[in-house]
Amino acid sequence: MIKLHPSYAQLERYVEGSCNAGEGLIVSAHLDMCLQCRSKVTEMENSLADKMLANQVPLDPAYAEMCRKIVELPAEIGGTPALHQTLELDGRQFTLPRALRRYASQINGWSHMVGKLWQARVDLGIDGRADFIYMEKGGSVPEHTHRGSELTLVLDGEFSDGLRDYDTGDFILCDGRHTHMPHTDADEGCLVFSIVDQPLHFTSGLARLLNPFSHLFFK
Amino acid sequence: MLVGIQLEDRQTRTSVPFEVVEEMAGYLQAVALRRCQRSFSKLFSHFAPRLRSYALKQMGNEAQAMELVQETLANVWQKAHLFDVDKGTPSTWIFTIARNIRFDMLRKQRNRKEDICSEDLWPVLCEQTASPGEISLDHQMTLQQVGVLFESLPEKQRLVIEAIYIEGKSQQEVADDLEIPLGTVKSRTRLALQRLKEMLDQDD
Ligand SMILES: [Zn+2]
Repeated sequence: MIKLHPSYAQLERYVEGSCNAGEGLIVSAHLDMCLQCRSKVTEMENSLADKMLANQVPLDPAYAEMCRKIVELPAEIGGTPALHQTLELDGRQFTLPRALRRYASQINGWSHMVGKLWQARVDLGIDGRADFIYMEKGGSVPEHTHRGSELTLVLDGEFSDGLRDYDTGDFILCDGRHTHMPHTDADEGCLVFSIVDQPLHFTSGLARLLNPFSHLFFK
Repeated sequence: MLVGIQLEDRQTRTSVPFEVVEEMAGYLQAVALRRCQRSFSKLFSHFAPRLRSYALKQMGNEAQAMELVQETLANVWQKAHLFDVDKGTPSTWIFTIARNIRFDMLRKQRNRKEDICSEDLWPVLCEQTASPGEISLDHQMTLQQVGVLFESLPEKQRLVIEAIYIEGKSQQEVADDLEIPLGTVKSRTRLALQRLKEMLDQDD
């Protein structure tokens, strides 16, 4: 059961196309998994379209020429082909939300981190960093907080972070106000997709020693 | 820590009259089926001045506004068959095409190396829209075949599979019965199906 959704402002930026690429991608992946937000977005698109296309600016003659040129173009049958890319890790296959499928093929392999964690970086060319992260049963990310913001989408399985529990499809925003330690006890572990714009800041125990190297860890 | 926001309505619709919606949908269909130029010019006269207004506001200069209008309406002409009357109105479809093209234009302008393109974010011109991924069993795999292999599944996975595939319960019902989260039911199902598939592959 999905309990956490993008905020209204995030959906609004997405519908307008004013979101940054990373945020747009992870919101889009959530929409692939969440019927509730998808119907909300459809409504928002309807009313935004009506609003944005309410006013008219009269056309000059160049537009008549434009119209003539357009009808000379051939029909393009066949849209963007649908991909059926899955993500493989440790003999398991994960079906990804549509929005993320194209990126599964761009992973250069998984690296095994401390604490039963696996991480695969995806180069989106955006500011910040995007990763698929897989936590094995009993795995955890050392306690940390955030200098910037961290958007996480739970793709498969469930995890907790000492503050609450998260389930498949949940959309989570963390920033400097939140200190947490994600871990999972689910037999199947947990796969998430996350985008951070600044390195994490580790807050407890030995993990603090990681801070100077956190750019190597989660950027 | 979270953004678990209750969704609510904040915009009221400045509604387009129903007859106009119907009329435009008819033209789109005529373009899709017959490449009807007359219908396209109707669409053009209706939408180009509106798109021009949108484009001028978004792009801030005449040349780019024109490029945005042209690209949008060229897509309408070339891909009219992708318009689905059950999914929305012509103006929503055309607006979302314009929004996507604007996004890509601005991206190129910033000369960024971003690999993300608008179709990833908004699959407006995609043949198939997304359905939340479920791995389905191959057709030739019968329940009986699977049944034989049941014994070798871990008990937790077997319980879930039996409930869903033999008792015909929904994943939610199974979650409620076993008092485990839906996500766990889903992943157990997936793991079990995968395992069964592997075993069947080995049998061949
Ligand atoms: Zn949602």
